[in-house]
Amino acid sequence: MIIIGENIHVIAKVVNDAVKARDSKTLQDLAIAQTKARADYIDLNVGFLRKDTEETMQWIVNTVQEVTDLPLSLDTMNPVAMEAGLKVCKKRPLLNSASGKTDSKEQMLPLAKKYNCDVVISVINDRGCPPDVELKVDSIMDTVAYANELGIPNEDIWVDPIILPVSTAGEGQGFAKASLEFTNILQDLLPGVKSTVGLSNISNGAPVELRPLLNRTYLVMLGRNGLYSAIADALDEEFMSLCKGKKQDIVDLIYRTMDGEEIDFSSLSQEEINYVKTTKVLTGEVLYSDAWLES
Amino acid sequence: MEYKAPIEAYTGVVREETIGKGEKVLKIGGENALPFHFFDEGSFPNAPSFALEVLDMEPEDWAEHLIEPFKDVISDPVKWAKRCEDFDVDAVCLHLVSTDPAVKDSPADEAAALTKRVAEAINVPLLVYGSGDDKKDAEVLPKVAEICDGMNLLIGPVLKENYEVVGKAILEHGHLAWAETPLDINLLKELNVKLCHFMPPERIVIDPESTAVGYGMEYSFSLMERVKQLGVIVKDSMTQMPMIANLGKECWKTKQAMENKEQGLLWEGVTALSLVLAGANILVLRHPETLKLVKETIGGEIWQK
Repeated sequence: MIIIGENIHVIAKVVNDAVKARDSKTLQDLAIAQTKARADYIDLNVGFLRKDTEETMQWIVNTVQEVTDLPLSLDTMNPVAMEAGLKVCKKRPLLNSASGKTDSKEQMLPLAKKYNCDVVISVINDRGCPPDVELKVDSIMDTVAYANELGIPNEDIWVDPIILPVSTAGEGQGFAKASLEFTNILQDLLPGVKSTVGLSNISNGAPVELRPLLNRTYLVMLGRNGLYSAIADALDEEFMSLCKGKKQDIVDLIYRTMDGEEIDFSSLSQEEINYVKTTKVLTGEVLYSDAWLES
Repeated sequence: MEYKAPIEAYTGVVREETIGKGEKVLKIGGENALPFHFFDEGSFPNAPSFALEVLDMEPEDWAEHLIEPFKDVISDPVKWAKRCEDFDVDAVCLHLVSTDPAVKDSPADEAAALTKRVAEAINVPLLVYGSGDDKKDAEVLPKVAEICDGMNLLIGPVLKENYEVVGKAILEHGHLAWAETPLDINLLKELNVKLCHFMPPERIVIDPESTAVGYGMEYSFSLMERVKQLGVIVKDSMTQMPMIANLGKECWKTKQAMENKEQGLLWEGVTALSLVLAGANILVLRHPETLKLVKETIGGEIWQK
């Protein structure tokens, strides 16, 4: 599983302050930590960069490139910032992201072609975020066809099904299931495409201390269904060891639960029981509540 | 070829719970099929039950046509509760509205003493509903539970904010918990899980929150429907409690019900009928004529199957 480290994002105050003050050390420390933690890409979620757009973007990219050889994922909605960043990337970057929205198709996708880079394309379109599998399929088929016409091959496209919080009242479990199913059929629909997700959103709104458990479990489930990569917390050690195939017993347990096997709790550790319960919530087999580990 | 209608058999059972003591008992729940699925396998040992609501003070905002059946007793909650028995109720629901800090902020002791007087005066079980102010209810409801020790009343609302203190008093003094959450299946389950850390699930009744026709009733409907499906089909233990629909107070504050009696009866009647179809096991109404109308509509004998 390819992990795109999410830890440099402007929503975090330290990052925002560092960018404003041109404090390179803070950004570089985060980049080094993620590199050491074995991330495969470093995501630079820089926001819209309304002021000094090009200069700021290039400062961020160059600052990070000074300390890591990892390729970068440039994460902004602003096409001007995006192009400025693409110009100075040393390694083939990932454009994160484009979608089926008209302005994105017209402004972002041509940049991916122009700079010959990989590009994330999400299922979002002018009508919003499609909630079910069928509508996600319709949307992505349209947008990928558009990208192909521009000369972007499937192999350069990373499809994002858009993960929504499992805790969304009454509907979150349906969303979680839809993204699992969508990931599963993606290769049949669009042979050769890659895929990625903004993983942490699955646990948005859930109790903070339980969020990593949802993130880790869902990643293993998506991975089984063919997911290629995820934008995630590279500094979560347990998470990284799961991604890198270190915890095969936990992975097997999650797979068996997905297959509907009746798991006997008496022989399991508390940690293993928690993974089974979390898997059942994410498949929709058991109704979600914030107290899902307690029943 | 002859057509044979498919027959479903379910595996989950809604818990059968008993409200009240001695001669004054009411059983609710106990079914192992979806509501009104008389054509499937399964049984409905208890028909839906109906309670009429009594306030602990003279109502300030009730329409004339709603007060009318109780006009002469409206300022005396004990007499008002007795009057309800003339209308074939299965239970009475005492709403301690005066304890609300925004109404009269009347003290817990007074409310508890009145509750006991009402419970002793009537020959049907009593349901008790606080003010809905979570902090005040945390004082009032434990006092009610204590003073009415052992009477096996259904007491609520037990909320996410006060479930520990209210739930423990309910359990300690031998009552049932009326567990209310705001129209959200996930929160509903969470409250039940938390209550079940110290309380047997057989002592919990689910209130998913009822809303009136035209004011979001479809949300209550689909939520109740889902609770029942999860309980009966998926066998989720935390949704296998019987459900209460406290809808009278929602219906009679609508503009339509306030305008005239016929609209009011229809508003409350259609809401009640809808929620009974969605799976409500016990319903709290305000007007005796609605009660009669709904009871006649859903019939009696068919439930004995």
